[in-house]
Amino acid sequence: MQNELQSAPILLFNDECGVCRSIANWVKKQIQAGSVATSIVVRPIGQDPNELRSLNQGLNIWDAYATIHLLMPDGSMKLGGEAVAEVLRQLPATRWFTWTFAISVFGVRPFQAILNLAYAILADVRPVFGCESCGTPSPWVRPIRWIVKRAESLFGGIHHPSAIRHFSSLPARGRPPQTHHI
Amino acid sequence: MPGYKSIDRIQTVTAISFDQQVLKGEGPIVVEFMSYGCAHCGAIEPSLQQVAEIVESTEKIFRLNIEVDRELADLYEIQGTPTLIMFLNGAVIGRDEGPSPDVSNILALVRQPYE
Repeated sequence: MQNELQSAPILLFNDECGVCRSIANWVKKQIQAGSVATSIVVRPIGQDPNELRSLNQGLNIWDAYATIHLLMPDGSMKLGGEAVAEVLRQLPATRWFTWTFAISVFGVRPFQAILNLAYAILADVRPVFGCESCGTPSPWVRPIRWIVKRAESLFGGIHHPSAIRHFSSLPARGRPPQTHHI
Repeated sequence: MPGYKSIDRIQTVTAISFDQQVLKGEGPIVVEFMSYGCAHCGAIEPSLQQVAEIVESTEKIFRLNIEVDRELADLYEIQGTPTLIMFLNGAVIGRDEGPSPDVSNILALVRQPYE
């Protein structure tokens, strides 16, 4: 991994989150489909804080799960919308428009600001799409989540076992309910 | 989430060390069943670090990553994270699932079973 860190950016993704997994898979496909050489490593964050620190001493595993991180070969890290912009810059299919993110008007980069906002919204709405481990939805997302859950209950018959606010139930995270007894 | 990055006051316990450190450990022992991908676990982490500092003379607090040690999670019928289980002399004497992430609440939770 150290060699990969030195030669290519590393995109860390949350493999417990369906939305994040889908985006990571899309990035991987774009890399494979590109005719131009693209060097970007896509890897799950994993569960080992020490292994992550070996990639970058400043990297905290909790932060990695909270926000998208791109580890750059020079040892710096790009986060959130800046990380997304850099990934798009690296991909053959999207790099053509990424020059817009550098446009600055009176010190403000409007297109980068839009991308940052889009990332923040996407991060906030992940619980709506079934990522219960992504935490308690932001206040503005809760009505949307409530509507989605009611719709699922009415039309899909989906049962949401976790009614507790500060709790990520395991069945919702892809594990079957356990029936073991001590 | 500042405040817990410099000193980690919560030791990680694994399936290998669980027997020695928890079941055969002396005094009150609290185990947080968690995973790093669980945002709720991230939310209580700073408070849990503070609580670990407050109670360190009387209680030990460990974390157990259920993504790494699933068998222990199954054994203790963990339905979600974070789940706090309070042990005394190897026996479970208290349990709380999804505690509210404020220091006073967690402090009460980890003290109450031992009073």
